Amino acid sequence: MSGIFKQPGAFAITPHKVSVCILLKIYAPPAQISLPFPFSSVAHHNRLGLFLLSLTKSCDDILEPKLDELIHQLRMMSQNWMSTWIIDQLMTRLSSLSSPDDLFNFFIDIRGILGGPDSGAIEDDQIILDLNSNLGIFLRRCVLAFNLLSFEGVCHLLTNIGIYCKEEFSNCPPYEAPSLDDSSSNLETYSEYENMDLENFVYEKVSEEIEARKEANERIPFHLHVPNTLLSLVDDIDVPVDSASKQSEKVRVASPYGDPSSNMLRDDDPSGAVFLRTNWQVQGYLQEQADIIEKNGGAVSLNGFEIVLRQLRKLAPELHRVHFLSYLNSLSHDDYIAALENLHCYFDYSAGTEGLDFVPPAGSNSFGRYEVALLCLGMMHFHFGHPKLALEVLTEAVRVSQQQSNDTCLAYTLAAISNLLFENGISSTARLIGSSYSLFTSIGISLSVQQQLFVLLRGSLKRAESLKLKRLVASNHLAMAKFDLTHVQRPLLSFGPKASMKLSTCPVNVCKELRLSSHLISDFCNESSAMTIDGAFSTAWLRNLPKPTGSLLLCPENGSGSSSNVSQFCAQPTSIPGSVMQVLGSSYLLRATAWELYGSTPLARINALVHATCFADASSSSDTALAYVKLIQHLAVFKGYKEAFSALKIAEEKFLSVSKSQILLLKLQLLHDHALHRGHLKLAQKLCDELGVLASPVTGVDMNLKTEASLRHARTLLAANQFREAAAVAHSLFCMCYKYNLQVENASVLLLLAEIHKKSGNAVLGLPYALASLSFCQSFNLDLLKASATLTLAELWLSLGSSHATRALNLVHGAFPMILGHGGLELRSRAYIVEAKCYLSDTNFCVFDNYEIVIDSLRQASDELQLLEFHELAAEAFYLMAMVYDKLGQLEKREEAAASFQKHILALQNNKNEDDPLVSVL
Amino acid sequence: MSSKESCRSELRIAIRQLSDRCLYTASKWEAEQLVGIEQDPAKFTPSNTRFQRGSSSIRRKYRTHEIAATPIAGVSYVATPVMEEDELVDGDFYLLAKSYFDCREYKRAAHVLRDQTGRKSVFLRCYALYLAGEKRKEEEMIELEGPLGKSDSVNRELVSLERELSMLCKNGTIDPFGLYLYGLVLKQKGSENLARTVLVESVNSYPWNWNAWTELRSLCSTIDILNTVNLNSHWMKDFFLASAYQELRMHNESLSKYEYLLGTFGNSNYIQAQIAKAQYSLREFDQVEALFEELMRSDPYRVEDMDMYSNVLYAKESFSALSYLAHRVFMTDKYRPESCCIIGNYYSLKGQHEKSVMYFRRALKLNKNYLSAWTLMGHEFVEMKNTPAAVDAYRRAVDVDPCDYRAWYGLGQAYEMMGMPFYALHYFQKSVFLQPNDSRLWIAMAQCYETEQLRMLDEAIKCYKRAAACNDREAIALYQLAKLHAELGHPEEAASYYKKDLERMEDEEREGPNMVEALLYLARYYKLQDRFEEAEVYCTRLLDYSGPERETAKSLLRGMRSSQSILPSMDVERFPP
Repeated sequence: MSGIFKQPGAFAITPHKVSVCILLKIYAPPAQISLPFPFSSVAHHNRLGLFLLSLTKSCDDILEPKLDELIHQLRMMSQNWMSTWIIDQLMTRLSSLSSPDDLFNFFIDIRGILGGPDSGAIEDDQIILDLNSNLGIFLRRCVLAFNLLSFEGVCHLLTNIGIYCKEEFSNCPPYEAPSLDDSSSNLETYSEYENMDLENFVYEKVSEEIEARKEANERIPFHLHVPNTLLSLVDDIDVPVDSASKQSEKVRVASPYGDPSSNMLRDDDPSGAVFLRTNWQVQGYLQEQADIIEKNGGAVSLNGFEIVLRQLRKLAPELHRVHFLSYLNSLSHDDYIAALENLHCYFDYSAGTEGLDFVPPAGSNSFGRYEVALLCLGMMHFHFGHPKLALEVLTEAVRVSQQQSNDTCLAYTLAAISNLLFENGISSTARLIGSSYSLFTSIGISLSVQQQLFVLLRGSLKRAESLKLKRLVASNHLAMAKFDLTHVQRPLLSFGPKASMKLSTCPVNVCKELRLSSHLISDFCNESSAMTIDGAFSTAWLRNLPKPTGSLLLCPENGSGSSSNVSQFCAQPTSIPGSVMQVLGSSYLLRATAWELYGSTPLARINALVHATCFADASSSSDTALAYVKLIQHLAVFKGYKEAFSALKIAEEKFLSVSKSQILLLKLQLLHDHALHRGHLKLAQKLCDELGVLASPVTGVDMNLKTEASLRHARTLLAANQFREAAAVAHSLFCMCYKYNLQVENASVLLLLAEIHKKSGNAVLGLPYALASLSFCQSFNLDLLKASATLTLAELWLSLGSSHATRALNLVHGAFPMILGHGGLELRSRAYIVEAKCYLSDTNFCVFDNYEIVIDSLRQASDELQLLEFHELAAEAFYLMAMVYDKLGQLEKREEAAASFQKHILALQNNKNEDDPLVSVL
Repeated sequence: MSSKESCRSELRIAIRQLSDRCLYTASKWEAEQLVGIEQDPAKFTPSNTRFQRGSSSIRRKYRTHEIAATPIAGVSYVATPVMEEDELVDGDFYLLAKSYFDCREYKRAAHVLRDQTGRKSVFLRCYALYLAGEKRKEEEMIELEGPLGKSDSVNRELVSLERELSMLCKNGTIDPFGLYLYGLVLKQKGSENLARTVLVESVNSYPWNWNAWTELRSLCSTIDILNTVNLNSHWMKDFFLASAYQELRMHNESLSKYEYLLGTFGNSNYIQAQIAKAQYSLREFDQVEALFEELMRSDPYRVEDMDMYSNVLYAKESFSALSYLAHRVFMTDKYRPESCCIIGNYYSLKGQHEKSVMYFRRALKLNKNYLSAWTLMGHEFVEMKNTPAAVDAYRRAVDVDPCDYRAWYGLGQAYEMMGMPFYALHYFQKSVFLQPNDSRLWIAMAQCYETEQLRMLDEAIKCYKRAAACNDREAIALYQLAKLHAELGHPEEAASYYKKDLERMEDEEREGPNMVEALLYLARYYKLQDRFEEAEVYCTRLLDYSGPERETAKSLLRGMRSSQSILPSMDVERFPP
């Protein structure tokens, strides 16, 4: 039930449509053989046809163009006398419409250019509009709409045509301003107000806001906006991209608001006669905007778009979809209250039964689709980081969609719930879901969260498959893959010590699910959603008007600059819907993550690269940012910090306003690692605190962020030799991870605990932790982590005494293939050093006979550590080297190694004592 | 307050001036107040006695406390209005124009006055143009209704009017009436701040133009704005403040202002109706009914505000009175939104919801922004189980006035009916926010929390507590609180609430199952607490009732007697069951 008074969808005749009719008449004059008069070639003639088609289809705007805009476009289309002639014709015919009778005659006349129903019998040469062609239908609709007009309507049309022409003839500033609340109230501004050009006014307002933002930006502390200090920190690692970063800063400030390239502000033209485009076009416009917001919310300026929407709301109060768009807009700009209001407003008005995607149900379903409202509300709460609330709402959505037997919605809701459970490992959901979702109650057994999650995922997947919701199937497969990746599968009912099941994750399953999700693309090769593509096509065509004449379609642009534009334009009609590309892209990201966990860095890197190169356009900016983050992390681990930081700068420029948190997080991580390696403990602690702020629950809880923050906290404490505190932090972290079923993190926390004990000299205490970590790694197939745990284990054995050196050496050698193949710089060098130490402490080992083994390892290690600027380990390597040389009696080399040792030790100590420039920055 | 006589003379002149300028609504209002001024008993003339309601019960009600009749600081400094009259030359044209105007031929009137320069003529010309534009606008609104419901046709005269009036304003040759019109134009254009300034200037220099005050009131949408408006003191300001307080839902402040005004305008129907409105908002239905009966007697053909009377009658389910009222307004003027609402209310009370919706629709056709019709129509749709339509209607009401707590409440109710209690909570929260002292809203919200799907009992208890704190008339909250606490295993709280509920029932002399339940619970509770004396009292009271509880009470009594008769030392060994 949308609207008590009116149903939307009718077609109103407007001055612009009259102009298009006139142009149509020029395009296809009645009873004309071969080319009509002004056209010199078939190509020119076709070009006008294409132009007219685009005019009726394009959805880049909500308002119909003014006469001067139309004339401008005509001029752009062809730059010779022909266009002048057409424009002249248009103007004379428009201005000759001076009485209602002229209009009647015009529309009777217009009918003549339509072909009869037997148009097949006409000779080939004759130009005639097919009744059922796009243009023919447009013309028929115009004629019909005119015939339906009452006399008053005809009078209004006449007046409007007058205004429409007059605006062109004398570009006097028209009056009627839309109700923008005047900000000044003093009486002196009377006359100013009168002459004020509203467009400028709005623009000023926006730019004022930009200014305000800018000021605010400068004052806002470090972690919220552009952290100047961080930037300078990065600068400190002499990367010569200075000027670029400065520039980027400027852009970054401006971008969330006034977007100069967007033509949104133009829309709020205060002139007297504004007309909406056809319903189809407006919906197409809204759809496109929704896509843009989804892809890259930060690119749409909040206020600019809101102005358009406000105008649309005024012009078409019964088009409730506008409320949904403003919901999306405020959502993407994190305006909780406005988002909530608009969401409720939209569903109150439309009952979820409005919009392009809506297919009216066969039976008379008077209920509306309020379950969709619940689904959206749940997702919104999820987005704003209120998982409890979101779960509550989604539970209700499950119930209502079951009542209304809306299986589609149910499938989506289940998917949303499982997504929610994933992201925010909620510790106890038994009450919430168990009470409502029939499956659980029928089993009658309280399940653990992960079991619930598994059941949910399965249910959702099955439902989606049976309903043939292809996108949902694909994303469910992805979710399943994620589940398989991070959770051990356990039998649902019988679980205990007797259940003889091998407890481990199954990489094969992950792979299978990922593959299944990729099948999506083949399903969509033939399908296309007509509206957006048609509209986008026409819009792109209109934007490309100034291109040289000739059939643009046939010969692709050669060379100059905007090749992407053209390729987009050519590729559009056959392309796969953006949402599908997005799902596909995220499957690659997931692959990258999976390989990262399983420990194959080359594969992880390749998948991230695939995403960054192939899906950057289609997927949302946060996904793309994530791919970049992965690549940069890879760089840092394998190439050292210098390269990573220069890549980071590029990424920062690319993702100016969007997904700041991800890039920011990465930056903090890198800086923290770097600080730890160089021994800047104070700085590391500061960075750690920043991370903690990011993880604070003000903006919603993000478990990953939280674990990351406390993990790093523990590591910082460890580096400062505060073992007790470090152990306490790690311990509480372990408890949290255990509570929220973060098994993968558990493995690394255990490893950290082992490290802490190792460093504190309690090797015996460290052993069980290392072993526990190992077994975790084994059951989750975390090969790289396992290798590093083995290394720690070897170190622990070694520190127990030289009698265990052989055992340690065996361990190290066992882990070597993995470490050398996939490990990063730090891991590799650590392994080398441990190996050398093993040899050296082995009583059976003779240094004089095979010193090359030891020296080689140590040299490798020291080279790689210098890249990382890891002073402590490097010093150790050089120390060992010097000792070996000393034994061998090679004094020169010994001195060299000793000098290097001294250098690193000094660097380490200097940081502690001296007032470091880095520290003073913070 | 200035003396009655001075008020009277001010009003007499003002009425003439207002009707000279064809500001008929304002002059009507002023005339009502003029007649509303109480006569001094000394100067009683038989012709005036008609309007005297000396015996009225209402007046006695409001005269219980003597209002300090000290004038507000600063005597009203605007003297009796003396406006210079236009010169005689254009007098003839003016007379012609005014007669055209009276025949509603606005454009013609404006045309006659095209070259006149007298202030009165200029104002009349502008005003006629404005009204002509308004009329055309209304017509266009219907002609132009587009496919997507666009109906934002504008008054096409605004442009030239604003230009001319701002010019006059700059020259300083504008009079208060011109300022009023200027304010009106500015308000329509959306420049509210400027409009407010202009209107304030207008009422400060000529306070008797009620139209200007009402426009100003509609621009004072928050208390902060109202406080910043700088007004000269005059008795008209009190009228303004009273009605502004009412708009801002500060009913008690508004009531006291009106009571104060009654001191001078003791017989004013307007004030009486406004008092009724405030009382209605405070849910004092009996008083409202009495007030309206009085009003009906003195002003039988009144249609304004009568829809509120019908609401009261509806709430009291007095069929015949409502039908009488409906018949009366129908005969007076059936094409008034108020009349349609009254008839709609009548059909709703009769249970004929389709017909009632039809009349509400008609009311909305007559005035698209008629708030109560939207809300009432929503209620009807709820009755008809057409929840989506109800939601739509309520939402429109909310869009007309975002502070209408009834519509928010209705939205919540509709969603609750659809089995979406959690979604409904949002709306209940809104409504409670707007009207935090209404126990019904709190109870509705509590029931929402209590539903099977949510079972958020702690929140429900919080809501019931609020409800109990704000004078819960139906006495649901205490009982529910007791029950919920009992359910959650808080016997002390449960007992205390049962006790309170019991006391209340005793006070109001109500009987019923709740009484039995309370008695039984308390009897058991005290028995468990080993306070046999209290337990016995409750058990004995239970014996007065028939049914299974009586038997239970008997067995309880028996149990207590037997345990008492055993050695007192046994007490130690007795375990609670």
